[in-house]
Amino acid sequence: MRNLIIFAILCLALTQLNAQQNIMGSDAQRAAGKVIYDDKCAQCHGYEGDAASVAKTYFRPQPRDFTAATYKFRSTPNGELPTTEDIKRSIRLGMPYTGMPAWPEFSDQELTNLAYYLKTFAQDVFEEYGSTPSIDLQSPPAYSDASRDRGRMVYEENQCLDCHGEYGRGDGKSAPTLVDQWNEPIRPADLTKRWTYRGGATRTDIARTFITGLDGSPMPSYSIEPIEDQWALVDYVYSLGGTDDKYNEANYSVAAFATPYKGDIVIQDVASAKQTYFQNTEVSTFPVVGQVVEPGRAFFPGVNSINIQTIVNEDDIAIMLTWHDMSAETSGGNDPSVELPIYTPDSPPDTMGQYSDAVAVFFPTQESGGPEKPYLMFGDSKLSVDLWYSDLSKSEAQVIVGKGIKSMEPAAEQNLQTWSEYDNGQWTVIFQRKRVQEGAVSFDQEDVFVPIAFTVWDGYNKERGNKRGMTSWYSIHIPTLQKPSPVGPMVETGFWTFLVLGLIVAGVKLRYRNGDA
Amino acid sequence: MNIVPVAIIVLVMVAFSQLSKRNILRLNVVAWMVIWWLAIYFALSYGINPPLPASIIGMFMFIVSLALAAYLTTSTDDMEAAKSAFVNFIINPRYALPLILVMIGLPVVSAYNVYSDMTQPPQPPLSTRTIHPPPPPSITFKGKTIDLIEDENPYRALKTDNPAEFAKHVENGRRVYFQNCVYCHGDNMAGRGIFAHGFDPIPANFRDPTTIAMLQETYLFWRIAKGGPGLPAEATPWLSAMPAWEKFLSEEEIWDVIIFMYEFTNQEPRAKEELH
Ligand code: HEC
Ligand code: HEC
Ligand code: HEC
Repeated sequence: MRNLIIFAILCLALTQLNAQQNIMGSDAQRAAGKVIYDDKCAQCHGYEGDAASVAKTYFRPQPRDFTAATYKFRSTPNGELPTTEDIKRSIRLGMPYTGMPAWPEFSDQELTNLAYYLKTFAQDVFEEYGSTPSIDLQSPPAYSDASRDRGRMVYEENQCLDCHGEYGRGDGKSAPTLVDQWNEPIRPADLTKRWTYRGGATRTDIARTFITGLDGSPMPSYSIEPIEDQWALVDYVYSLGGTDDKYNEANYSVAAFATPYKGDIVIQDVASAKQTYFQNTEVSTFPVVGQVVEPGRAFFPGVNSINIQTIVNEDDIAIMLTWHDMSAETSGGNDPSVELPIYTPDSPPDTMGQYSDAVAVFFPTQESGGPEKPYLMFGDSKLSVDLWYSDLSKSEAQVIVGKGIKSMEPAAEQNLQTWSEYDNGQWTVIFQRKRVQEGAVSFDQEDVFVPIAFTVWDGYNKERGNKRGMTSWYSIHIPTLQKPSPVGPMVETGFWTFLVLGLIVAGVKLRYRNGDA
Repeated sequence: MNIVPVAIIVLVMVAFSQLSKRNILRLNVVAWMVIWWLAIYFALSYGINPPLPASIIGMFMFIVSLALAAYLTTSTDDMEAAKSAFVNFIINPRYALPLILVMIGLPVVSAYNVYSDMTQPPQPPLSTRTIHPPPPPSITFKGKTIDLIEDENPYRALKTDNPAEFAKHVENGRRVYFQNCVYCHGDNMAGRGIFAHGFDPIPANFRDPTTIAMLQETYLFWRIAKGGPGLPAEATPWLSAMPAWEKFLSEEEIWDVIIFMYEFTNQEPRAKEELH
């Protein structure tokens, strides 16, 4: 009997130990995890896991401090610790559009070892509370528009729009005031860009994100009843980014395409121009990234993509740019050529009214006659760029000739018009000019590609001068206005081919009439 | 190269030649020429990655047609055989139906070609570039001349002579990398930085054995100090986002980051060739 009890106790102890091991792993596993961590993770997360690292101030959100045991992406309820699988998932898939990279190269074993080692930075907490099971998310019912419409109501009732905004563009009225657990400013997710969701882009992932909440960030957790309402909210959020799974990934364009417009282009304001002129034009989307090539670097630009739509008629070209911005800065001013130090981590962006939002689209001033283009960074001493610039605190546009950031001069001719509008988290700026302009970029040819690049300044993020969001060179296609119908040439080609064949056959038949080939 | 289409084409060609060798399929010169022409056409169209533009394929096929015609004219027997096959096809009533099909089919195909040409969305121009252009013999770095042929990384020898001191340079290189390069070249140096998707050409992947493992340290010094703008014209310097780090870093910082790049990826710089 006594033996039996001892045996039972031993068994119990062993299972306890086993459970403990399942949370914390073995010494060997943690040691193996440490080797990888010190090599690959410590430069951001710190050798002690406390995020005291050389790269800390270069990212926003900052690399996670693991000693706080705060994890945003979990399958466990709000305030609970993540499972080992959750941590492994975050490492393997990373967090797109933050400083936290994806690590597809690690094996499952390596990921497990890393997860165990991360837990040692908050060992007591994990040992005590680290075995919370995952929430059971049932699989979602099929998407429907009716459910989406109901979801819009749930979205309003739960005040998601306070932070995420009317149309989910991350521009809610409290958005500019948000800070995370470490008192760093943080922006609500732009729900229309599903490829930036770090918790995953599928409908199940979206449900998990708002059910569990993101610990350490202002994003709360919600339990929404009845369950139909929960999935309705999922459907609404999903619909904000387009109801096709292809939008789970970014769909960036390779080029922009202007659409021919029949008739005069007379723009009154942005809203009517959208209706009249830009309704059925092709939208191209280009990624905007931080300018980190020249001094004045922007490590966490406020804007991550820009859309362009263009129309041309015989005389004019009109370009419409749209992008999402958390808050419109329309006071103060901005200047693309102001000199900045190499990099100063600016104090939190509490600077409403100091720097205004601004945008520029630019082209080579002259055709180079070959593949050569002006240097990507606003041109160079040999080849200049024409910057169509709009400081959104002012109502007129400016044409600036750039030969590099140190040489930016107003152009001699300033025949550029502009209109702008900020609506619920989205800026729209239209530029219009004559297609042909002496001494400046001209769009006088048809069916050609003209190099084009963009830059955006988010004033709220203190962007000015070379601290800006930028794009690579892309190109814009200027179409043939009267697109010739293919029918005529088709019939013609068919006819001539037939004729030639007929002649050959007739010739041969005539020559070898007697059948003696 | 796309292995699968090329392999299929080769297999089909081998099959044809076996079939005709064993006399299962009788193929005359004309048939062989058609088969070759098609094989080359498919190989060019589907076997090459990135795909060639249609105009280039058209040019190649024109040359191939000329070559085949030239081949035919080298032998009078072949010429005769080809000619009689051709004439036979036209005048022999047995072939009336195929002849009518050709007479209708070819005009339709060429008309369709015109249609697809005219309705195809325009393609933006591609620019080709030389990835590792030859370096200049020497560069000026902050007023100092660095000889790219003779000079060496001044801290490289510490690796064997003074490992503790060497480790300090590695650590400094780590700092430089993670404060400056990680946004483009990525945290694992695999070219997947958070801004990499915004640049074309994409930032170099240092884990790829054809980058730093086959370059000398002075070559890297040149590329890091002078960046995209320091490239010669054939490497499209106006497109490369690679910064000219002489604006940001000291000479020691650049040598240190070079050391760190090799240590982090477990690679060795290419040795200096013996001078002869
Ligand atoms: C280039 C800097 C960088 C490197 C290298 C890096 N991280 Fe991160 N990591 C971050 C940043 C920034 C965040 C914060 C992201 C956020 O809050 O959205 C983060 C967050 C995390 C999180 C938190 C996930 C969550 O649910 O909240 C984990 C876990 C993590 N990193 C693990 C790792 C591991 C393991 C490695 C090494 C293999 C690593 N990181 C390497 C920058 C980095
Ligand atoms: C108090 C402000 C606030 C409210 C209210 C709020 N959110 Fe958020 N939400 C945030 C912030 C801030 C983030 C980004 C957190 C981060 O970057 O760590 C976020 C992120 C998200 C994400 C993306 C997470 C990811 O995977 O990257 C989703 C989806 C989301 N919220 C949905 C919702 C829904 C649905 C509601 C309403 C039920 C809601 N949010 C209410 C502030 C809020
Ligand atoms: C703005 C993005 C960006 C940053 C930041 C950046 N690079 Fe680059 N780098 C590139 C691009 C793009 C290329 C490929 C084009 C080229 O060769 O110029 C490249 C190429 C290189 C090459 C040439 C590799 C080869 O195989 O020829 C080296 C070496 C290099 N980078 C080192 C560095 C170092 C070291 C740093 C940090 C001090 C750095 N880069 C920062 C974008 C960047």
